[in-house]
Amino acid sequence: MSGGTRREYILLSAVDPNSGSPCQVQISFERMQAVARRSMGHAMECAYIVPAVLQRPTAVFEGLRLEEDEDRRGVGWRCYCGVPEFAYRADGSKLSPWPGQVFVVFVNDDRIAYNWRWEQADDDEPALPIDYEDRFRRRLL
Amino acid sequence: MTVVSNADFASRVLGLAQNAPPFRPTAHYDPDGDCIEFLAAPDPFYGERVDDLLTVYYSQESRQIIGSLIKGVRGLLKRHPGLNIEIQDGRVRLVHLLRASFWNKDQPQPVEVRTYRKLIEVAEAANVETELAAV
Repeated sequence: MSGGTRREYILLSAVDPNSGSPCQVQISFERMQAVARRSMGHAMECAYIVPAVLQRPTAVFEGLRLEEDEDRRGVGWRCYCGVPEFAYRADGSKLSPWPGQVFVVFVNDDRIAYNWRWEQADDDEPALPIDYEDRFRRRLL
Repeated sequence: MTVVSNADFASRVLGLAQNAPPFRPTAHYDPDGDCIEFLAAPDPFYGERVDDLLTVYYSQESRQIIGSLIKGVRGLLKRHPGLNIEIQDGRVRLVHLLRASFWNKDQPQPVEVRTYRKLIEVAEAANVETELAAV
């Protein structure tokens, strides 16, 4: 999955949605650096929200659906969801979580967290992302 | 490799932010997700899926489009070999990939057309390229 490029990773603690036991998830140093360069707010999301959602998710889904997923790479990929205690402005200052939104962290089948963001929450399940029933193959937690 | 504590992780990330240069628009290919993430402004954002391959980022403050995530980049390049003419020294302008992603759609809905068009305008204004050597 490294595309032939040597990347450095940092290991973070997470929860295994199958067993409820601790497990490890990696984040590439390159990704951390790219996010930290955007703004202090993006850095705060990476620093505080990503570990919190990986360790205390409200739900974990497996199997990201792609229409033309020829090699079915998305099958074992996971989406950790949560509603963090805070959100952050661009300058890094705290505010209450964005109303009607959840934070999602995407983890590939090598257990690498490669993307995260806020998304609109489902109307009926405010701790889950919108369209969760259509986007994922199954719910693990 | 050992697991870092939450405090150590936060300290590393915030240290990177403190030494960061001023923001400029960027588009990065991430081999771990086989995706390209584009950001034209430093605002906090939320994502909205347009389709299975494109998520658009909206500023939490202005509600304007400020970025995107293109997924399945390897498949996109395979389906559009003509894109190779736009790749120079391993780099390609993001607008070419966005157009290819749109051409992939059979019957785009009007809202999708508007969203792609606006996103392409934002990407053109930002004039960003992405490195594809790792694809």
